[in-house]
Amino acid sequence: MYLVNDIIAFLAANLILSQALGTSTLFIAADSRRKLVGTTCCITLFTTIGSAAAFLINKELPSGYKDLTLIFYVLTVGLLYVGLLTTAYFITPERFEKIRKYIHLSAFNCAVIGTLFTMEQKSADDPSLMTLKEYVKFGFEAGLGFITAALILTAAFRKLNSSKVPSSFRGGPAILIYLGIISMAVYSLK
Amino acid sequence: MNERRSSIFDGVLGDNAVLSGLMVISPVIICGNTIKNAEALICAFSAITFLSVLIASFVPKKLPYTVKVIIYALISSIVYLPVKNAAEKFYPDSITRIGIYFPLLAVNSLIILQSEARFFKMKKPRMLASLTFYIIGFDAVMLLTAFIRELLAYGTIRSKMADVNTLISGLGEPFGGFILLGLMCGAYRKIRSIARKEKNTGSDLNVSGK
Repeated sequence: MYLVNDIIAFLAANLILSQALGTSTLFIAADSRRKLVGTTCCITLFTTIGSAAAFLINKELPSGYKDLTLIFYVLTVGLLYVGLLTTAYFITPERFEKIRKYIHLSAFNCAVIGTLFTMEQKSADDPSLMTLKEYVKFGFEAGLGFITAALILTAAFRKLNSSKVPSSFRGGPAILIYLGIISMAVYSLK
Repeated sequence: MNERRSSIFDGVLGDNAVLSGLMVISPVIICGNTIKNAEALICAFSAITFLSVLIASFVPKKLPYTVKVIIYALISSIVYLPVKNAAEKFYPDSITRIGIYFPLLAVNSLIILQSEARFFKMKKPRMLASLTFYIIGFDAVMLLTAFIRELLAYGTIRSKMADVNTLISGLGEPFGGFILLGLMCGAYRKIRSIARKEKNTGSDLNVSGK
């Protein structure tokens, strides 16, 4: 029963299905299995490491300078972006060309920056969440949430792009309606 | 002359950022449920995007792509600061309701990705005109979505009661936003394909007429 509750809580907190964060990136990720793995891994890395950095920013930034949070988040994601590209280049130079497009796609999007802002808001509402562990856990869960939403979309992606769907609704519009129905199901679990 | 005109106006009808490119859709889905929210988002989006792309156009093109993308994001996050201060004066309630989606406007794909892929390949006057129409395209979709959702979900127009018999409260929720936007995208594509067919038929007739 606890597991069921955890799954429901996990689905209800999904940033894509409940907050529509990173939807455009999801369309690209769900296109093929290779893209799904590459993009979701990169997004999870960005959200997890980015959340750890966001914890330090939120902890150290004086309250009078809270407006500068976005600039620091952008700098953090930018550093991560360069760091991941460099790491990929030195670890797998032969696969670098394939990997880098997923890193480019994952760096600056709503799923990553939105996760950092969502956690900032949550920790402001509940100060007990203002710990490094909670930030990293939330960042990792956000990445897992993106993977879950991508898997749900991948299951229907081909059908939503098939010739059976009227040409005007094929692809993007059908995917949005499909995500809306899934989001409605998740909403009812809350 | 005709081709040039149509490509500048593409951002509104031919290649709308939201309905065709499916860009910047999260604020439309989540915050585009009342006209007041939409107005605040429209003003902020227009100011941030226009100023950021304009300033970013002076960034040297020879820099590596990654560095340029980071600089674009930094420029827009700096532009965001005065825009936020101004928005807090004009739309104090809406800014609170919009929450995290307000700073997210500064990292929208029109600034980060499309500026490099589309706008910076044009000459400056043409770029500014094209950018303006892309912004107008977003604004129009945002306003239309907010109008439909507020009217049908809450039975109001700009918080004033309207004579609506049947309310669909789900339209005010995120899933309602997903579904409505999906339907609008489909309708937009249909209208666009009909318009293009008619245009082609018209030009064919002209050719045969010659």
